[in-house]
Amino acid sequence: MADWVGPQDIREWSRRLFALRPILLFLLVSAIFILELRFDWIERALGAYLVTTNVARPESGAIWEKGKQTLTARKTLEQIVTDRQDSQRIARGATTFNQIAANVSADQGVMLSDDHFRKLYLSLPREIAQEIISPFELVRLASEGKWRRTYFEKAGAGLMVYLLDLNNRVLRQLKISPSLLIHFEHEQFAQVETLEDLPYFENRVYPADRFFDALEAFPEEVRRSMVPNPERLLQISGQIMRVGISDEAVSGFIEIGFEIINGSRRKVIIVQGHEWAVWRLRSHLEEQKSSANIISDTLEN
Amino acid sequence: MNFATTFIRRLSGIFYLVCGLAGVVALLAMVLFFSALSDLPQVPEPLSRIIETPPTEIFAATGERIMVIGGREAIPLSRISPYFIQAVIATEDHRFWEHHGVDKVRTLKALWVTLFEPGKVQGASTITQQLAKNLFFTYRRTVMRKFRELLVALQIEAQYAKGDILEAYLNQISFGVGAQGIEQATQSFFGKSAAALTLAESTFLAGLPKSPTRYNPYLHFDRAKKRQKIVLSRMIAVGYINTEEAESAFKENLFLQPRNEGTRTGSYFLDVVLKEVEERYGPEVLYHGGLKVMTTLDPLLQSWAVESVQNGLAKLDEILGIRKYGVDSRDDAVTHPQGALVAVETNSGAVKAMVGGRDYSETEFNRAVQNNRLPGSGFKPFVYYTVFEKLDLSPATLVVDKKVNIPVVGTPDWRPKNFGGKYAGPMILKEALMKSVNSVAAQLVERIGPDAVIEVSRRCGIKSPLSSVYSVALGTSGVSPLEMASAFATFATGGIRHTPFWIRRVEDPLGRILEERIVGGKRSLDASVAYQVVDMMQGVLNNGTGSIVRRMGFDLPAAGKTGTSDGYHDAWFTGFTPTLCVSVWVGYDRGVGMRDANGKGITGARGAAPIWADFMIKATNGEPAREFAIPSDIQFQSIDPVTGFAAKQWTPNPVRVALRQGQEVQGREETF
Repeated sequence: MADWVGPQDIREWSRRLFALRPILLFLLVSAIFILELRFDWIERALGAYLVTTNVARPESGAIWEKGKQTLTARKTLEQIVTDRQDSQRIARGATTFNQIAANVSADQGVMLSDDHFRKLYLSLPREIAQEIISPFELVRLASEGKWRRTYFEKAGAGLMVYLLDLNNRVLRQLKISPSLLIHFEHEQFAQVETLEDLPYFENRVYPADRFFDALEAFPEEVRRSMVPNPERLLQISGQIMRVGISDEAVSGFIEIGFEIINGSRRKVIIVQGHEWAVWRLRSHLEEQKSSANIISDTLEN
Repeated sequence: MNFATTFIRRLSGIFYLVCGLAGVVALLAMVLFFSALSDLPQVPEPLSRIIETPPTEIFAATGERIMVIGGREAIPLSRISPYFIQAVIATEDHRFWEHHGVDKVRTLKALWVTLFEPGKVQGASTITQQLAKNLFFTYRRTVMRKFRELLVALQIEAQYAKGDILEAYLNQISFGVGAQGIEQATQSFFGKSAAALTLAESTFLAGLPKSPTRYNPYLHFDRAKKRQKIVLSRMIAVGYINTEEAESAFKENLFLQPRNEGTRTGSYFLDVVLKEVEERYGPEVLYHGGLKVMTTLDPLLQSWAVESVQNGLAKLDEILGIRKYGVDSRDDAVTHPQGALVAVETNSGAVKAMVGGRDYSETEFNRAVQNNRLPGSGFKPFVYYTVFEKLDLSPATLVVDKKVNIPVVGTPDWRPKNFGGKYAGPMILKEALMKSVNSVAAQLVERIGPDAVIEVSRRCGIKSPLSSVYSVALGTSGVSPLEMASAFATFATGGIRHTPFWIRRVEDPLGRILEERIVGGKRSLDASVAYQVVDMMQGVLNNGTGSIVRRMGFDLPAAGKTGTSDGYHDAWFTGFTPTLCVSVWVGYDRGVGMRDANGKGITGARGAAPIWADFMIKATNGEPAREFAIPSDIQFQSIDPVTGFAAKQWTPNPVRVALRQGQEVQGREETF
């Protein structure tokens, strides 16, 4: 192959310049240039190529950042709403004040209807319900037609209850103290099988027949103060074997435990009696016990 | 070597140089392309998704939407006036429908101008390039950023139809004054939808995105009009309209929506609301969560509050002999007195109106909540309540207004002086509060101790730090207008304290409740004692230091107290009706005294009470006269204010006082 030598004169140069190949090359370059100007094929090709790589590229830039923030915000909100709805759902299913107290967190209360509050209130023994609010006051509030909802919020270990109108204005503010909540709890079935499991009963456990004999010694209204809600005991199937009286008084009440046997199963039901009445019952039982001891001693001698 | 050979060689050299340069440029372009490709952002699919973020909306108590944050109301092209579309295309990118992301001719022209015409820089970004920049890139100008922007524009063109691109662009451009996207802009500027824009309005709006601040029509209407002229001329050049149409559009009067700074973006009240929402939920939820925040704001009261403060301060400027605010100085916010007003609903604590300064656009410092200024005599009601409650004194108790000298351990004696330096001698406590007598308040605090006064003020809701010194009785510890309004509201409700609040309910975008306010109060003061103080404060308005309120025509039952700090640095008036409690403060930010041209100081009665009265006259217009509830053990008795005896028929100027059971005045009242 001969070495390339540059043109030495115009003629040679012109001859080379206007040869077929340079002209074709020129036409090709011109065509490419004109076609690009006319049809934007470079832009199109690059654009089309970029579309194919789109999925693999990072989600970066202002709009994606904003999108991520929106996503985070949505997730946060969803979490707040879910938590709130969960606690509302649990509260709606609550049948006792204790269940509500267990469900209310320090920073988030629960809202229930006025009807629901009434149901919870009515499920309590009359004497204990009275401790929260007088039924007459509740009737008055209900009759005024303003009370629509009830808001529960944590107040230390107790509960604060707000009876609200449609605009969330507080019509009446009630406090359920921790000791009252303990009362409510004990009003339910104790999670024990025998009275021996509850140390505060150990000094005063009586056979059921002796307890009921002693109870009968008092007039009806006094008995109602000793065992405020005897209907509850009737609802339980089984036989009451023994009855224990607590050594401790809380908020003017003393607990009485009924040990019930049903087939091979035992359980204890606790009710609260008014302190003054239970004291009388206990004294009566103790007197009976002492006279029984005297009689047995005499017989033995 | 002859000329021809030299010519050929030179020409060949240039040719090879150009070829070489072209090769290098091509090579560089390749390198740049693959380098840029490595972290080129992904373009979302569909493009409209990127502008669908729910706005956080803030509502007034009336249900009126008072603020929208973030989010955009994306509308289809079919709902945008064709005039506006044409105006934007003519101005921003007249070959939009032809090019594929880059306008090469315009780019070359811009390059030429930038390179060869000194001092001139011409942009050539197409609408697609602008969209790419707005969506993905920062405003930092670098070659690489520009190149990436170009590539993304090419992809957007390849991926989407022209209509989609234009729609996305029009829904995200900024027009200033918080308006983003064409629908929001037309609503903000003209109070109508984008479909209803006329040619004049379209061309006016289309000029703004170039520089929303520079062409802000509320501040620079003339500039915006000049810009409109350019838009119209572009439309003529492109052939969308003829000269007559352009002239007619330019001459057309444009009626911009009034901007109410008091209740729109950036008002002091909204700042407080946003701060609380942000603290509770975080900035992401606030700005991107699409919350619905129901507030306590009453837009009508708010607008009156703004008006009263601005008018009141304008009058104060005249009294002070200083030039009109906002005329020719940027330092007006510092050189002119400022003001604040808070209106609280007494029986709930709901904040109905809040003004934190003279002009939000000048200064965002919220004096209604952030400012702790000395309340002066405005603090005396707490002193009187304390001695009534703890010492069983009554408004009829006789005291002697005299020079007092109170020894203070470890510091010089405290010698409080009366306003004007005069002492009136014997007077009953009601009279002492009505006339705001300092020596009496000093004697009372000496007897009860500052801690007892502080304890009572805390019960009423004062949270600012208060120094345990005798002078606290004369308001020498700073408080905010919000605290004062809320604390005085406790007197108005007969001692029931309501914590002030501004958010009633917060919902997520689906309307699910995140929180709602429980409106409850707590008994903090004895109802009867509180009423005695209220009765005395009614006297302040009717015959005492706040009587200007009555002279201005406010005649509903109301109570209140003026306050002026030492050196006339602060002027206060806090007063209430049974339903609304309002506190007004005026003073200089830089803490200098306010004195008129004659050197006379501006007191609470002169500086703040007129603003209070002006606002209350409007706020209570048409309301029936409601009296404060009188507790059952309160009885009224007329007393001789000088002797403290029960007034007889011939007693001059007897004062009616409210007395609790057992406080009836039989003969001479006890003095101390």
